[in-house]
Amino acid sequence: MGIVIAVISGKGGVGKTTATANLGLGIAMNGKKCVLVDFDIGQRNLDMILGLENRVVYDMVQVMEGEANIKQAAIKSKANENLHFLAASQTKDKSVLDSAKVEKLVADLKESYDFVILDAPAGIESGYEHTIEFADAAIVVVNPEVSSIRDADRAIGILDSKSAKVKNGEEVAKYLIINRIVADMVESGEMLKSEDILEILNIKLLGKVPEDKGVIDASNQGKPVILDKKSIAGQAYSRIAGRLCGQKVDMKDIEVADTGVFKKLAGMFK
Amino acid sequence: MFGFLKKKKSASLAKDRLTIAIMSDRDRTNGYPFMDEMKAEIMEVVKKYIGVRGVEIRKEIDGDIEALAIEVELDKNI
Repeated sequence: MGIVIAVISGKGGVGKTTATANLGLGIAMNGKKCVLVDFDIGQRNLDMILGLENRVVYDMVQVMEGEANIKQAAIKSKANENLHFLAASQTKDKSVLDSAKVEKLVADLKESYDFVILDAPAGIESGYEHTIEFADAAIVVVNPEVSSIRDADRAIGILDSKSAKVKNGEEVAKYLIINRIVADMVESGEMLKSEDILEILNIKLLGKVPEDKGVIDASNQGKPVILDKKSIAGQAYSRIAGRLCGQKVDMKDIEVADTGVFKKLAGMFK
Repeated sequence: MFGFLKKKKSASLAKDRLTIAIMSDRDRTNGYPFMDEMKAEIMEVVKKYIGVRGVEIRKEIDGDIEALAIEVELDKNI
């Protein structure tokens, strides 16, 4: 019996889909069976980040409608066979989602995978509500930037009121990923520190991901950045995936600029 | 080197502004979507015993503690 995790953000463009793809692959690399489901109906994107856009035959709406089964629709990742993927429908709109069908899809996926990760659409409309409704836990992705943090707080508020677990008197676990951290800016006081963001949102930290130009290069190629062992963002996602798989991985302090002695000396005389 | 003397750093300004904006967002949305329904039900219950003019429910957050403050305004004419 697997765990269902919704990846949410409120605001779009903060790296939610990138995080979903990398965590899924990271989990698969740890030997766990993982399925990623794109819930962004009408704006399918996870397929491109994974490099699987040409392999989509059936989408998740067709599975929910009974037109295809999970085995037919699940696409195996080229990078790791433990990772499967269900595409969003590109032709339908968000109104096709309904609670009973989502509940069944999620329950069926839980039977065959250790991790079921749902990539939520941006915004806090019905598509978002359906994504979080049957999740056991949520990963909130933010950038260290005011609009992203404010929108995340709204998304968390809706999670706390609309989740089926909360309605049953249980708690839905919430964890934060802070994405696109620029150490120099944090050090100079021009970017929010992670501890401040955690305090404002009142949430536990899952991991910090540094800004990394390699992320765009990776999505250009449809190869998640976690496959690039030299990438600092990729390394951050590896650490987070390890934590999700129950390993004790220390929080690396990526908010301190990694500069050499000479650069530090030069900095003093600026 | 003496840049810190110039002005308040923008990150701390962001923290202050966010704290205030988020507090007021949370107040306005009142936390739960079922508030109106709950208000109406509480009103019905109290009405059985005494006249009621209105019910106000606020979600209050203080650190880790969350509470609902329920205020029932009585109607003396009934």
